[in-house]
Amino acid sequence: MPRITTLECPGCPSLRALTFDSLGLIKVIEAKVSQGGAPRVVERWGELDSSKCVLAASINNRKDDPLLAVARKTGMIEVLSAINGDIRFTVSNANEDGPRPEDDAVVGLHLFAGQKLELTSRTCTLLTCTTKGNTSMRSIEVTNSPAGFASVGSSNTWSVCGSGNILCSKVDGSEKYAIFGGKGVEMNMWDLDNCTKIWAAKSPPKNSLDIFTPTWFTSSTFLSKDDHRKIVAGTNSHQVRLYDISAQRRPVTSFDFRETAIKSVTEDLDGYTVYVGNGSGDLASFDMRTGKLLGCFLGKCSGSIRSIARHPELPVIASCGLDSYLRLWDIKTRQLLSAVFLKQHLTNVVFDSNFADEEVKPSVAADLPLNAEQIANETEIVDEEEALPVKRKKASKEDERRKKKKAMKENEGNKEASKENNGSKKKASKENEGSKKLKSKKSKRSKFEIHDES
Amino acid sequence: MGYKRKKSESELEPEIENDRKKPMTQKEEKEILPSTIKNKEKRSEVHAKLKHQKKLEKRKKAKARDAAEKRALELGEEPPPKMVPRTIENTREFDETVCKPDDEELFAGNDADEFGAILKRDRTPKVLITTCRFNSSRGPAFISELLSVIPNAHYYKRGTYDLKKIVEYANNKDFTSLIVVHTNRREPDALLIIGLPEGPTAHFKLSKLVLRKDIKNHGNPTNHKPELVLNNFTTRLGHRIGRLIQSLFPQDPNFRGRRVVTFHNQRDFIFFRHHRYIFDRKESKQTDSKGKEAKDAKGEKASQERVIARLQECGPRFTLKLTSLQHGTFDSKGGEFEWVHKPEMDTSRRRFFL
Repeated sequence: MPRITTLECPGCPSLRALTFDSLGLIKVIEAKVSQGGAPRVVERWGELDSSKCVLAASINNRKDDPLLAVARKTGMIEVLSAINGDIRFTVSNANEDGPRPEDDAVVGLHLFAGQKLELTSRTCTLLTCTTKGNTSMRSIEVTNSPAGFASVGSSNTWSVCGSGNILCSKVDGSEKYAIFGGKGVEMNMWDLDNCTKIWAAKSPPKNSLDIFTPTWFTSSTFLSKDDHRKIVAGTNSHQVRLYDISAQRRPVTSFDFRETAIKSVTEDLDGYTVYVGNGSGDLASFDMRTGKLLGCFLGKCSGSIRSIARHPELPVIASCGLDSYLRLWDIKTRQLLSAVFLKQHLTNVVFDSNFADEEVKPSVAADLPLNAEQIANETEIVDEEEALPVKRKKASKEDERRKKKKAMKENEGNKEASKENNGSKKKASKENEGSKKLKSKKSKRSKFEIHDES
Repeated sequence: MGYKRKKSESELEPEIENDRKKPMTQKEEKEILPSTIKNKEKRSEVHAKLKHQKKLEKRKKAKARDAAEKRALELGEEPPPKMVPRTIENTREFDETVCKPDDEELFAGNDADEFGAILKRDRTPKVLITTCRFNSSRGPAFISELLSVIPNAHYYKRGTYDLKKIVEYANNKDFTSLIVVHTNRREPDALLIIGLPEGPTAHFKLSKLVLRKDIKNHGNPTNHKPELVLNNFTTRLGHRIGRLIQSLFPQDPNFRGRRVVTFHNQRDFIFFRHHRYIFDRKESKQTDSKGKEAKDAKGEKASQERVIARLQECGPRFTLKLTSLQHGTFDSKGGEFEWVHKPEMDTSRRRFFL
């Protein structure tokens, strides 16, 4: 028989992701634990029209009535309901006297979650940024009329760069600051309350051969949600840089990643890990405190990674790009959870964190101890890391596992039960797999002995 | 399950099977796998014996099958169904990217892609062919043959220009594609096909090049626009490559020219062939001379004639293998790849990408 290797995907927890592609489609992908955790496309919004190619997207993860903003190639910005895809309203980003939308594409879009605008939930605020650097922040009153008519409440337009092209922009967690960067534009940070530039980076010095690499930022992000001072940026010369605006204008740390341009950078919730994707489909996680590679995400990904999204609660990231697959990864084991083929070149992916199934609840509860354990582990790591070097951390962790297991065995004394435990823990971590294997071998050996005797 | 257990089972099983099949043969030899024998002479002896036995069995089986077929024919029954050999292609790993004919997204995507204008005949293909910096011997010969294969192709000397500059130049001159023939040690070994003005860029490895003069009984192509045959481009990536190749050739072939260019994909290798064909009438002589004479007497000779197509190869002949497909025009530093061949993809012989 031909030996056909199938990619074993363990399936992912219940989640809901939205992808945007070059044909202007929005696809909703849902995975449910009750159905084996295999994600599938449940809905498709929009019609097939390449002129409506999605350039940027943003979601505000509100509990009630989450909204989704989508910038199209035609210069229109649509705001939809993230639940059923109803278009609430559309606004045009192109102004009459300005350049045409084809020449001045939207590169950055942010839909404010709106803590400060909580009182009037019918307003939503949008920050858009175009290639030429025309940035505008407008708050829009949504009227109740079904036609989707919207009135621009207040609009604020400024330019973030004199020359060059903006390629990336990002708004921080508190939604007070935004960073911009691009080809020929150094990273700069703006205060959104009064539209002033508060910081700009300085290009790194020439190298030992007196060669100056031209500025070309392709992706950027804030390192943590509640700290706007640390910025991670990826460059076209395959470099990842960490800037600290409270320290200096030049990068604090910078390191190279592979050979092609960095195309996307996303931060983790823990405040020091970043996920980096590049033009030839390599995805890796880095510890920004040390600049060390934590590990690569391997899974036959061969197309440029355009976007990475971190799930707000679950330990899952999603990546998508030119190979038209949406891939979901476990961040602890760096294993591919599953991949969905979506037929088009994907430009963006976002997670909808408010997705939860009623029928799924019990199984989620079953998973909870696992998660809790992970979280516990995480905290342990954090505690230990201050004192211990990296290598010993792992060993100590493994030791803990071993101790735990031993305790379990002693308690139950029943091999079947311990086996089940093995199964349930498989997900938890692969790092200690080695030790696990040893153990299972041992147990089996003992089994055999018993057989022989009998 | 446990590793120990498995091993012991796998050791046990063949013994049991062999015992069941041939209880007549010597047991001592059967129990030992030839690979476990350390003495080479002995090992090869046992191995040869095993092989011989297998061959005999196979022959026996074939004979039995033939006999069954013959008997079925004589009795006028349905002959037993023919076995389909298992090949690497028909046991290919399942690939969800294989295009289905009822996929509306595929067609919408095709309409929107970079080749749409050429394939809808809004633009006529115009191809610029150039080489790498150093070029001699087989390179120019290959290019002169490529020029005869691809209509409306123009050769430009490379000089010392950057490829990006050449792309710019070709864009200004309204070319639709750019082909770069890369030569290594005076032997063409790579082909770069760039769609203009906005990509994509496909990088192929070129091998097994046979020029026209080295093909026996070759023909000389005419100036007619050739017909194009693209075989087996099944997946999404395959479709894209197929369309890229298609955009090199004019979409209105002169059928009078009876000239055909074939790109045949098999196991991710793209075989290029260039033929002239002719429709010929052939009298089937065998049926005339041998059996069914009664029928022959009645039927006219014209009815025995069949129309066949005869081929004459015009050359060149070469094989391409895709190494990468880049989004946009050539950009070695900041380029985004749609597909790159990576070593980790080669974990199965039955996985194909085109």
